[in-house]
Amino acid sequence: MDTSSPAVLVNGELLPMHVGKRVRAVIQVLRSDGSGTVTGKSTDGQQIFVKGHPPAPLSTFVEVIGIADSNQSVRADIWTNFGDVFDTQGYNHICQLANGEYKHLFI
Amino acid sequence: MYGGHSQFDGNAAFAGGGFMPSQATQTTADASYSPAKNRDTQTLIPLTVKQISEAFHSSDDKMNLLVDGVEVNNVKMVGLLKNKTERVTDIQFVVDDGTGCIDCFRWVNEAVDSKEMERVMDGMYVVIHGHLKGFQGKKQMMVYSVRPVTEYNEIANHFADCIYVHCYNTRLRKLQENTSTSVNVPNSGFNTPVKGYQPSLSNQFSGQYTVDRLEGVEKLILDYLQQPALLESVKGASRDELAQRLNVPLERILKAIEWLECEGFIYSTIDEFHFKSITNG
Repeated sequence: MDTSSPAVLVNGELLPMHVGKRVRAVIQVLRSDGSGTVTGKSTDGQQIFVKGHPPAPLSTFVEVIGIADSNQSVRADIWTNFGDVFDTQGYNHICQLANGEYKHLFI
Repeated sequence: MYGGHSQFDGNAAFAGGGFMPSQATQTTADASYSPAKNRDTQTLIPLTVKQISEAFHSSDDKMNLLVDGVEVNNVKMVGLLKNKTERVTDIQFVVDDGTGCIDCFRWVNEAVDSKEMERVMDGMYVVIHGHLKGFQGKKQMMVYSVRPVTEYNEIANHFADCIYVHCYNTRLRKLQENTSTSVNVPNSGFNTPVKGYQPSLSNQFSGQYTVDRLEGVEKLILDYLQQPALLESVKGASRDELAQRLNVPLERILKAIEWLECEGFIYSTIDEFHFKSITNG
């Protein structure tokens, strides 16, 4: 059992608070350039850039887990396709709760 | 399934939706699982690895772990499966739900077990149901059900459940610590397990009713009916008796009884004027 490297649930607004730390976020893929950078929209509508080795093909929604290397980008080592239908509002709400009132259950 | 639900009590009434472990749990329960254990403490609790890491042993029973004051036996988790290792009689793996990693193992006794495990691979999101085991300071999950996540809203939903159950159990504990002796509390004290979150069998979503809302006359009636003598009696208490003993106008009593009966807290006995509380002491 190991809780030493949790990945914080973030959206666009929360990402800047965790720069340098391990984070996870679900993004809606907007653009994917060939060289491994995906531009996506976070669950609260902000733009996030994700670098790494995305799987091919990418579904509309993707969860990325990795290190936040700036206010707006993540260097992801784990990519999981979440399909083409996803409740961004629900997930966003959980992000807020997991960083706020119920942080002790997560980090 | 869970025979414990024949005891319907107020706490179960406001659980919206049920967590029913898969059928497989009945057949693959491990041999040391004692049937003599109180079934009320064997509900399925959704937890994060972080919560499990903070679980500690209850003071009276070194075998059981407590989270938020509630004994946890059956646990549900959702996370990424990693390090799947097949051994002779069991399969070991790690589940990472973003809050931490926990070691898991699955006995492979029958074809159904190995088939289930074949469907999941490293890197997949899975839902696991299992028994939480603490051994020499290390916590592990003895898993009896693993299935891949196909609809990814389930992940956020699981975290929402964890938050909800946490709130329920912490509020329940505060209530049972603060409450007067009229409510049936077997024991009190920080480390003693309390009867925690019990998912409701029925699909009726009874709205936002909480034990806190059960105030005023409704609570008075329920408290009165939960006295040991009345719980044991066949006919319970009559409406007139309630109005007289509680010093409340009959009209108000009738209204309260109607609500309590509707919500399933009380039931009528020998005739429509006599009532008993559902709780079995």
